[in-house]
Amino acid sequence: MDTEQLPDVPPVAAIEQLAVEGEAAKGTPAAGTGIPGRERGERIRTAIAYVVLFSVAALFFIPFLWSVSTSFRTLADTVAGFSLLPRHWTLSGYHDALHTFSFGRYTLNSAIIAGAITVSNLFLASLGGYAFARLKFPGREVIFLLVLGTLMIPDQLRLVPIYLMLVNWIPGWVAHLGWHNASFVNRNGVIMIQLVSAANLFLMRQYFLTIPRDLEEAAKLDGAGYFKTYRKVMLPLAGPALAAVGILTFQGAWNGLFWPAILLQDKSQYTIPIGIANFHFAYQTLWPPLMAASVLAILPILVIFIVFQRYFVAGVAASGVKG
Amino acid sequence: MAVAVAKRRQARGLGNERLREALVGYGFIALPLAFFLLFFIFPVGYAFYISRYDWQIFKGPFVGWGNYTKLYHDTVFWTHAVRNTLVYTAFVVPLEVALGLALAVVVNQAIRFRTFFRAAFYFPSLAASAAIVSIATYILASDGLFNTILNHLGYHHNNAWFGEQSTALPSIIALTAWTTSGTMMLFYLAALQSIPTDVYEAAAIDGAGAWRTFWRVTFPLLKPAHFFVLVVSVIGALQMFDQSFLIGGASGGPNYSTMTVVLYLYNQSIKNISFGYGAAIGVVLFLFIFTVTVIQRLLFGKPEVA
Amino acid sequence: MRKRLMFPALLAVVLVASVLAAGSQAMTDRAAAPKATTVTLNGWQVSPAEETKLQSVVSDFNRTHSNIKIDYQSITGDYQAQMLAKFAARKPPDVFYVDVADIRDWVGQGVIQPLDSYVKATKFSTKPFYKNLLNAFKVGKHTYGFPKDWSSLGMEVNTTLLGNNPVPKTWAQLRSVASRINVPGGKPICLSADWARMMAFVYQAGGSGQWKDATTAPFRAAVNFYVGLLNSGLAATPDKLGAGWCGEAFGKQKVAFAFEGNWMFPTMASFPGVKFTTAPMPKGKRRGNLAFTVSYSMAKDSQHKAAAWQVLKYLVGRQGMQQWISLGLALPTRVDVHAVPGRGAFTKYPASVHGWGAQKGFRHIWNDVANNELTAVIAGKESVNSMLQKIAAAAR
Repeated sequence: MDTEQLPDVPPVAAIEQLAVEGEAAKGTPAAGTGIPGRERGERIRTAIAYVVLFSVAALFFIPFLWSVSTSFRTLADTVAGFSLLPRHWTLSGYHDALHTFSFGRYTLNSAIIAGAITVSNLFLASLGGYAFARLKFPGREVIFLLVLGTLMIPDQLRLVPIYLMLVNWIPGWVAHLGWHNASFVNRNGVIMIQLVSAANLFLMRQYFLTIPRDLEEAAKLDGAGYFKTYRKVMLPLAGPALAAVGILTFQGAWNGLFWPAILLQDKSQYTIPIGIANFHFAYQTLWPPLMAASVLAILPILVIFIVFQRYFVAGVAASGVKG
Repeated sequence: MAVAVAKRRQARGLGNERLREALVGYGFIALPLAFFLLFFIFPVGYAFYISRYDWQIFKGPFVGWGNYTKLYHDTVFWTHAVRNTLVYTAFVVPLEVALGLALAVVVNQAIRFRTFFRAAFYFPSLAASAAIVSIATYILASDGLFNTILNHLGYHHNNAWFGEQSTALPSIIALTAWTTSGTMMLFYLAALQSIPTDVYEAAAIDGAGAWRTFWRVTFPLLKPAHFFVLVVSVIGALQMFDQSFLIGGASGGPNYSTMTVVLYLYNQSIKNISFGYGAAIGVVLFLFIFTVTVIQRLLFGKPEVA
Repeated sequence: MRKRLMFPALLAVVLVASVLAAGSQAMTDRAAAPKATTVTLNGWQVSPAEETKLQSVVSDFNRTHSNIKIDYQSITGDYQAQMLAKFAARKPPDVFYVDVADIRDWVGQGVIQPLDSYVKATKFSTKPFYKNLLNAFKVGKHTYGFPKDWSSLGMEVNTTLLGNNPVPKTWAQLRSVASRINVPGGKPICLSADWARMMAFVYQAGGSGQWKDATTAPFRAAVNFYVGLLNSGLAATPDKLGAGWCGEAFGKQKVAFAFEGNWMFPTMASFPGVKFTTAPMPKGKRRGNLAFTVSYSMAKDSQHKAAAWQVLKYLVGRQGMQQWISLGLALPTRVDVHAVPGRGAFTKYPASVHGWGAQKGFRHIWNDVANNELTAVIAGKESVNSMLQKIAAAAR
């Protein structure tokens, strides 16, 4: 957390390598040094370990396998008592989710909101993170504490002030600038109030702290200004951290329910979590389309996670945990 | 040539340089800071303003600290909301952190299918709360999958886990620890991966077994990670709302067992139509979280360098 | 290195452009629309069928009224939270649902428009409305809404499980018949840990139904009866029966008796094969039942009050209500609109029906205090007297 103590860190290039398949990435070297007779004991222990691991992984997976199974059932099947697999396999859940409740549209809205928020966070968090990590200006520590403090403010406390801001005050202010009848009780408002998160800024700052100063010194000697150094030296090196911020932000925005539920008035702008919540009615829950929708909702994030997980691990490595 | 130019520039005026750096610094943080001021600091200030009035939907008469003294005497708040929130935090944080660390250590080994396990353990963190809660309610119903399995194992439990006063909060704790452990795992995994292997080799040469290596070598080296993870999970746990809202039916039931501070804030604001009182609760919570974070910082001191 | 920045920058441009384009398109659409007054209508959906039905009522209105267009949006999630936020911002919908549990409080906040002047000016007849339902939305001398439909409770009986026993008509008969019935894997009666059911028994015991009277004898008698059934093993709460509510427990045949309203008919459609009948609520000292009703009301801050009144008038008028009621989910609030047949058990004793709500702070006391205390009493963690005292104290 302290900018004065720069931790002793492997050079950035090594971090890239670690992400791929470096020494440290291989983890703790396997114990055992080839003493005869130990081999069989080792193999049995390893086998047991794998069994335990797969069981635990299964435990983590079972609820989702369950929801996948339910997504292929009929509604009557879901209330008829326990059965592992659907009694009658059907695609009606997926059909309902996609058509009766306009799921395609909801997915598009989720993508627009999550995408915009992610891009904005990448830009603003890295700008701010770099400044707090590398630039000296009066009040830097205090302002940083202030930024961190925003993490401690519950959304529910901000509900009324933000709603008043979006409905009345901000439209009033921009009306003076000539933009009349502005409305923010919609998708734009949801994006606007989540442009950057203090957690992301904190993450970027930690990462920038671990980059050796020599590269910046070299850039300075070459006559580069601050923004050029940021753009040409620091930002490209921050790939892993940017990927980390990208994944976490996209996932958070994709799954967010609180602000979309309050601010999205028009059905044509609803997002996936609202759609899922809509399958709960007062006297009935439509489980098959609800589960179908949940399954569909996880797929995009899962893909993004798998693609970026190498970078993600290396990114967080150098940022959040090095102090 | 460039070096000479730069040196001369440096020699000319460190004062100018400092001023320029400061201005650039402010320039860089201008946008994010403006955003935080507009959408976080200003709303909190406005919420504090609201809390000084008898503010229902619209502004009422000025009551000064009246809402705060009312909160001081609010037994439901202290005996249920605060107690549950503290109990919840005290259990969920060690659970999710320990689970995350354990998973990270496991996935850090040179085992096969590492990528698969990494994804499997991270899976619960990927899904939306609404979906997770729906699945959990379904599975933990009195005749749901979980009880069916327990019955087969010989332990007969016929109650809904979320419906019983004694098991509702523990079930939420277990559920949250399970879903958040994946994120903690990733933080720890990253930290583990940057510990150089020579450290392990040295321990192996000294004859330390896996368990001792972990406790004497790995664990202490993770101190920066511990601090970050603890601060983040404590801040999150003290603000728990989603699960109580979706599971307890927003009444904090059964019998207040799932009532948390933020849920209480929400109910007072909306169900009891008192924005002012709710705002007072929020301000108090914010100050409490701030204090707790500062204490954590002091206790841990400056994090050590790995 | 340039490439790394190009992609996010391009993405940002595309996203911002698309969002702006979408926004401006919406504005152009609005500008091109004909000069009809748009009246916003907000409600919540209880079932997908209701949603579709209301949409068709709305399109019929839009078709037959050239100068007024209804913009209907159903509110998902927390209706109270979203409506309060809109009231606070003074940008409420023109016409909206008001649950009878909220009407007193919302009128007290000054956000509901009194309708008397509009009724008089357009000579709208209030005679066809059921008196006690209409009065539920009167505060002082003013009318603040017209009930759009109502539901009451009835007793659902599983005829297979009932066997040769008679359908119980009184508390005593309920207890004796239940003790003679055996329900495999369940209990004879399903009782919800909810005052929205138990209050009916309070009325049956001769009580006033007001939270402030919680410590009076009829309240105690009703609670003791209700909790007594649970403690004696003749009844169970739905979560102990593997159900989310008593309707589900009844559909799954885990109980022989349930006390739910006319909304059970659509629910039972998803449990085909269950043989059941409906009967009026049992009699205690006298007959008592609850009326759950919702009104169409107008916002005080509405910008189109005259047009909003036209919409409101239509929706609670004979034609609009007839169309709505044909769904069969709820009961009509006008004598000149006929209910879907088969609802006799729920409407048999209209004089015994009391509005659920219409007290100050009702929703807060019901949701945050009364139900939590009731759960404690049922779990044996609190005494009946203690609960009643806490409720009465909260109402003061």
